[in-house]
Amino acid sequence: MISLGQLGSSSLLLALALAIYAVIAGILGITRRDARLLTSARYTAIAVFLAMTAALAAMETALLLDDFSIEYVARHSSTVAPIWVKVVMLWGSLEGSILLWAWLLTGYTALLALTAPNTMLRPWALVIMQLVQIFFVGVSASIANPFKFVPDAQYIGPGPNPLLQNHWMMAVHPVLMYLGFVGLTVPFAFAMAALITRRPGTEWMTQTRTWTMTGWGFLTAAIIAGGWWSYEVLGWGGYWAWDPVENVSFMPWLTATAFIHGVQVQERRRMLKSWNLLLIILTFSLSILGTFLTRSGVLSSVHAFGDGPVGIFFLGFFILVMLFSFGLLALRWDQVRDQAELDDVVSREGSFLAGNILFLAMTFAILLGTIFPLIVEALTNEKVTVGAPFFNQMTLPIWMLIFALMGIGPLLPWRKAETQTLKNNLLWLICGGLIAAILAFIFGIRKVYPLITLGLAGYNLVSLGLLVTGVIVPRARITKKNVAVLFKQYAFENKRRFGSMIVHFGVIVIALGVVGSGAYRVDEQFRIDFGQSYTFQGYELKAIDKFMEQTPGKVSAGAIIEMYKNGKLITTKRPRINVFTGQQMSVPTPAVIYLPWHDVYLNIVGTLSPDQNYVSLRAIQSPLVTWIWLGGLIMALGTAYALSPNGRKVQENREIREGANG
Amino acid sequence: MKKLVYSIAGVAVLAIAGFLIYRAMNTGLVYFITPSEYAQTPDKYANRRIQLGGIVEPDSVAFDDQSLMLTFNITDTYQHYLVSHRGAPPELFKPGTGVVIEGRFDGETFVSDEVKVKHSEVYEPPKPGEQVDLEELKDSLY
Repeated sequence: MISLGQLGSSSLLLALALAIYAVIAGILGITRRDARLLTSARYTAIAVFLAMTAALAAMETALLLDDFSIEYVARHSSTVAPIWVKVVMLWGSLEGSILLWAWLLTGYTALLALTAPNTMLRPWALVIMQLVQIFFVGVSASIANPFKFVPDAQYIGPGPNPLLQNHWMMAVHPVLMYLGFVGLTVPFAFAMAALITRRPGTEWMTQTRTWTMTGWGFLTAAIIAGGWWSYEVLGWGGYWAWDPVENVSFMPWLTATAFIHGVQVQERRRMLKSWNLLLIILTFSLSILGTFLTRSGVLSSVHAFGDGPVGIFFLGFFILVMLFSFGLLALRWDQVRDQAELDDVVSREGSFLAGNILFLAMTFAILLGTIFPLIVEALTNEKVTVGAPFFNQMTLPIWMLIFALMGIGPLLPWRKAETQTLKNNLLWLICGGLIAAILAFIFGIRKVYPLITLGLAGYNLVSLGLLVTGVIVPRARITKKNVAVLFKQYAFENKRRFGSMIVHFGVIVIALGVVGSGAYRVDEQFRIDFGQSYTFQGYELKAIDKFMEQTPGKVSAGAIIEMYKNGKLITTKRPRINVFTGQQMSVPTPAVIYLPWHDVYLNIVGTLSPDQNYVSLRAIQSPLVTWIWLGGLIMALGTAYALSPNGRKVQENREIREGANG
Repeated sequence: MKKLVYSIAGVAVLAIAGFLIYRAMNTGLVYFITPSEYAQTPDKYANRRIQLGGIVEPDSVAFDDQSLMLTFNITDTYQHYLVSHRGAPPELFKPGTGVVIEGRFDGETFVSDEVKVKHSEVYEPPKPGEQVDLEELKDSLY
C-alpha cells in the first residue's frame, strides 16, 4: 500500500516528465512537420492535467484525513479545523498554492489543446504553455514539494493561519487570483507563437479574446474580493493599504487592462502591434515578478534574499521570460512595426493610446514605490518604507485623467473626429460633470478629489447615456418602435460593446466608493461600560453585555452591541475576538453594519477579560464603501455579459461579414 | 514638425512625472530608524513621519482605560524615548517585546498612531541592560 505522499510525489514527477515530453514532441513535430507528433503533444497536455489532478486529489485526501506524515498537512492543517478549512488549506500556504497554480495551468493547457482552432499558431502556443507548465510543475515537484514526508506522524501542527480561517472569502480570493494569472498566460503564449511564426497580425489576439477577457475578469474579481476580505477581517476598516502583496496583484491588472483596450485599436486600425505585444509580455512577467517579490521575503527584509527557496526560482524564471520575450520581440522588430499611423490624436485610437500610456505610467509608479525600499537600502544602507501617501499622490491624478478619457474615448469615432461632433459631445459631458460637481458642492462636499471624482462620475454617466441614445434615438426615429424594445435589442445584439459599458459603469461606482470612504472616513476609539451608551456619528451604541463562545477549534469573546438611530433599534451586533486552537495570536471579527450611504464598522480593541465591566471599541464610519464591492460585482457581471456566447457569435459573424466586405 | 511636437510633449510628460515622483516621495517616504539613530540627527527627522523600531521598556507601560491613552518608553538599550499612543495596546504588546511605531516626534515625545508588535522567529529581543548590536536589532525589527 503506497502512502498518499508517495502517490502525490510520483504524480508530480509523472506530470513533469509528460510536460517535458510534450514540449519535445511539440517542437519536433513543428520542425519535422509531423502531424502525428503534434497530435501526440496535444493529447499529452490532457495526460499532464490528469497526473496533476491525481496529485491534487492526493493532497486534498491527505488534508481531509489529517495525514500528518505529510509535512504540509502537519504544519498547516489541524484535526479540529472545520472541513471547509481543511479543503481550502490546499492554498493556505506556499507549497499548496503553487500546486494549485500548477494544476490550474495544466487544466487551462489541456482545455486549450482540446478547443483551440487548428491554426498555424496552435502548435507553438501549446509549446509555450507547456514550457510555463514545466516551470510550475517542476517547482512543485522539487523545491516546493508539498508532499515532503515527516517521520513523526503524531505531530499535530498549529493549524491554519488564523487570519485565513477567519473568513470564507479566503477560500475564494486566491483561486480567483490564480484563475486570472493563468488565464492571462494564454494570450502571452499565443503572442509568443505569433512572434515565432512571424504572424504578428491580429490573429493571436482574436483567437485568445475569450481567454483574455476571462482572465481579466477573474483578476478583477480577485482584487475586489481581496479588498473585501481585508475589510471584513483585518479590523482597521480599510481594504487597501498599498502593501507589496496588494501592489503586485494590481500591476498585472493595470497592464492587462491596457492590453484589452490596445487589442481593440489593433483589430480596427492595425496599429499598436508592438505595443500590445509589450503589454501582454509585461502582464505575464509582472505576475511572475509579483510571486517572487512576495514569496521570497525580499521586500520585508533584503537579508532574507537567499532564504526563500522558491523566490530565487521565480526570479530566475522572470529573468528568463523577460530575456526570451523581449529578445524575440527585438528579432521580429521589422515585422511588428506599424504600417498605419495615428491620423489624429483626437480619435478613438488616440484616446485609447493615451489611456494606455496612463495605465503604464501608473504601473511604473506602483512598481517604483514597491521596490524603492530595496533600491534605497542597496544604495545608502538606510531602511525606508514607502507609505500610502506616495501611492495616493502618484495614482490619484492618473486615475482622474483615465476617468476623463473613459468618458470621451468611446464617443470619438475611429481615425478622426469631426470638430463639430467632438464639441457637441464634450459640451454634454462637461455639462453633466459640472451639474454633478455643483450639486456635490451644494450638499457640502468641499474637498478637491471628491469634487473632481463626483464631477467625472456625472460626466461619465452622461457619456454612457450618449453612447446608448446615439444608437437608439436614430433607430427609433426610423422604425417608430418603442424605445425600451430598441434598448433591449441593442443590448442583446452588441453584447461586447454593451458589456464594456456595464464594466465602465462598475468602475464609476467603485470610484465613488473609494473617494467617499477615503476622504470622509471617521475613526474613533472609546470605551463603553456595559449598560451604557455612546453616541457615534448620530448612532447610539449601547453595550449590553459580554459573551463567551466555544466552537470546535476556536474560542471567541465579544460584546453585544445594540445600535439605535433616533431611539429606534437598527440592529444588534456581536463584534468578537477569536483565539484558534494552537495559535498564539488572536484575530478579531469586526461587526460591519452595511448601509447604502455609509457603513458602521465596530471592532473590539484591547482586552476583554471575564471580570471586565466595559468594552473598548474602535468605530469607523466609511461613506459609500459598500459601493466598491457592488461596483466589483457590476464589473464581473459586465465581463460575463460581454463574454456570453450569443453576443459573441453575432459579433464574430459581423466581423466576418465586415472582413468579407473590406 | 509632428515629430518635434511629439518629442517636446514626451519630454514635458517625463519632467512632470519626475516632479510628481519627487514630490510624492517627500511625503510618502518613511525612514525606519532606532532611537539611537534619532538621537544622532534629530534635525533630519524633524516634522517627518518616521518608523521607530525598538523594545518596550519594562515598567514603563501605562494604559489609561478611560481615555484609551497608552504610554511607554521605547528603547534600543542605548537611547530611550517616551511614546504616547492614542488607542488600546495591540495584541501581544508586552514589556520587553520588539515593536515598530509610526508617527512623529513632538519635542522629546514620540506621538504614535500605529503600534506594530514584531515577532521574529530567528531573533530574540535583548533583555534591557544587555549590550546589543544595533544593526542586528534593527534587521530583526524591519
